[in-house]
Amino acid sequence: MSKVLVADAKKCVGCRICEQWCSMSHFRTGNPKKSRITVTRSHEDYMDYPVVCRQCVDTPCIKACPTKIDALSKDENTGAIIVDEEKCIACKMCIKACPYNAIKVHPSEKYVLICDLCGGDPQCVKYCPENALYFLDREEADKLVAATKEDE
Amino acid sequence: MTKNGIAGQLLRVNLTTKKITNEQLPLEMFIDYLGGRGLGAFYLDKEVDPKIHGLSPENKLIFFNGPFSGTMVPGNNKINVAFKSPLTNTYSYSLCGGHFGPELKFAGYDGLIIEGKSEEPVYLWIDNDKVEIKSADKLWGQKIADTDHLIKEELNDQKIHVACIGPAGENQVNIACVTSDVFREFGRGGGGAVMGSKNLKAIAVRGSKDVEVADPEGLMELVAGLYPNFKKNPKAQIRRVEGTNELVRGINNAGFMCTKNFSEGTSEANKEFEGSLFREKVVYNDVSCYACPIACGKNSAIVSTKYGAVKLEGPEFETLGLLGTNCGLTNWEDVLHVSAICDALGLDSITAGGCVSLAMECFEKGILTLKDTNGLELSFGNGKAEAELLEMIAYKKGIGADLAEGPAYAAEKWGAPELAMHSKGMTFAVYDPRGAKGMALTYATSPKGAHHMVAPVFGGEMAAGNRFEEKGKETLVRNTQLNFAAVDSLGFCATCQNGFLRADQLKAFKLVTGYELTEEKMLFNAERIFNMERMYNVKNGFARKDDTLPKRFTEEPMAFGESKGQVVDLETLLDNYYAAMGWNNDGVPTEEKLQALGL
Ligand code: SF4
Ligand code: SF4
Repeated sequence: MSKVLVADAKKCVGCRICEQWCSMSHFRTGNPKKSRITVTRSHEDYMDYPVVCRQCVDTPCIKACPTKIDALSKDENTGAIIVDEEKCIACKMCIKACPYNAIKVHPSEKYVLICDLCGGDPQCVKYCPENALYFLDREEADKLVAATKEDE
Repeated sequence: MTKNGIAGQLLRVNLTTKKITNEQLPLEMFIDYLGGRGLGAFYLDKEVDPKIHGLSPENKLIFFNGPFSGTMVPGNNKINVAFKSPLTNTYSYSLCGGHFGPELKFAGYDGLIIEGKSEEPVYLWIDNDKVEIKSADKLWGQKIADTDHLIKEELNDQKIHVACIGPAGENQVNIACVTSDVFREFGRGGGGAVMGSKNLKAIAVRGSKDVEVADPEGLMELVAGLYPNFKKNPKAQIRRVEGTNELVRGINNAGFMCTKNFSEGTSEANKEFEGSLFREKVVYNDVSCYACPIACGKNSAIVSTKYGAVKLEGPEFETLGLLGTNCGLTNWEDVLHVSAICDALGLDSITAGGCVSLAMECFEKGILTLKDTNGLELSFGNGKAEAELLEMIAYKKGIGADLAEGPAYAAEKWGAPELAMHSKGMTFAVYDPRGAKGMALTYATSPKGAHHMVAPVFGGEMAAGNRFEEKGKETLVRNTQLNFAAVDSLGFCATCQNGFLRADQLKAFKLVTGYELTEEKMLFNAERIFNMERMYNVKNGFARKDDTLPKRFTEEPMAFGESKGQVVDLETLLDNYYAAMGWNNDGVPTEEKLQALGL
């Protein structure tokens, strides 16, 4: 069974080391706008929120991508959403459909960025110094998300 | 985009003419001046006459990142601002961590020079290449958090990073800071007043450009290998748990923690503020600067106090000491409350604390009466009165207007100059120099007045067990000054040096810039930076006569505690130090020294 990514905002300190590894490992450059994971600090509730694709079962992004474009697919091995950069026109339909705000447009190219799970070895999870990011079987992940919700 | 870490350009904004220009900045500048603090010294010396008044339109705010800003190099995120200080009349610089510096880099700039003066209140909006001077009509008068919030609403992006001033800066209070991301300050020297004098309320930045490094694979390998060092380093780990307040226990027990305007060096009451109690009683989560695996930042809160709920990032050790123990405060409620007021109004909490403690001692000694204070009972420990005085400083009301000029001015006016605990007009940090003689030298010879981070040697002195000795401190202070001139310029955080040693810093320099910087060259450049800073003040008439400490430290023996009986022999310290620096006995760098440094 493929694993999914879960972020626990309560443990996140906002160092953005996850963004740095995502951008460096994919693009060999430091640029948070090219990172698939995005951390936003809120000065209102004194929290940092890491936002990243959660590999939804029902894939609203794939459904939203116009049929004639058909740029998104699910990787059979990892369960990650794969963007065909040639086909994608950055029409933003998937961005609107994503319930987690986890998709963004590449800052200088005409395609969107969605977490590809680094082919099964997520760099952000590996280097998050707080262990605020998990790569878990879906069942465990669901439990964790439910537990966090209860806490709130 | 060059592949050497730097953006290769600086942005220059003239607020008088509204002219906005980009200037090339070659890598050689980062090799010779290392980065933020060094480039600040270079441009200030080149462009700002040392004799001007700090609040005149000729002054400039010179922001510079180091070469690593925006890369994954851990613990590197500090941006420096250099300016002529209205508080000390000296060269000044101030470093700010957080996320503002890296964002400026992502927008495509290593640095930003603000010059001139706008006629109307304005703010600067830097969106990559698009740079606009916008009206700040709606922002003027707003406190720090509201300013940050309103700008993000107006520009419709929560991920923008904002550096701004509060009412204190607008009112050109000489102890006003520039604040980024609500809780991170370019604290000391009155940069906020300079910004206010230019009618500049804020700088908002958004960037989406690449920061390309020479050897990405090599850098990833080095950085991955560095993370475990931070986890293993005991200093880094205690900072993680207790923040900088881990220092309270050691300094208070050793009897040199500022207490009641430095009239005492320790107190039972200070124990309430020990790091472990800080963590237990008020901290509720940890916050990190960009690329930092330590996260020494702490958010604290008390849900119900006599002032209502208080919530803020901090207070860190210097704020706690100067606003807290030095004003005789004994509980967290008061400390959090006064810290939050400084944050909201944009006051440098360290200098503000030194100002309040001065007024309190004057009040207790009858030099200031209830009539002078408009009925404020300014006794040590009165947190409510302290809060009111802070507001009076920020809005220049009553005796607050005197303190807004600076502690030296106020004490002189009140007829008690010896009670202002300052050097060159800047108040001291927590460490009473009677308890760590190296710190005496650090404070007295600092180019920006009594600031501790120019050479924070107290830890080394304590570890070596020689903190009361004057002998040998010239070498310790000199070496530390040079180390900090280097790491401040490169953009490293001081806490992050615990786990990131110089050999690795030099490796990172090579991997990021492609240039092999030797330790020798790094220290040579650091010495040149430090001498440039000194010379800037010398050109304005500064010399040995200004490298002073208050009489309290040189003549009044510490009354009790583990530093009992100590006074500072400043003249001996200075004699030895000037010789070690290659300066003459009047504290002026010799011709030979300047030539050797290529100045
Ligand atoms: S690396 Fe971890 S702690 Fe740091 S910002 Fe990302 S999720 Fe948060
Ligand atoms: S799993 Fe990989 S692609 Fe996805 S957010 Fe983390 S680092 Fe980026």
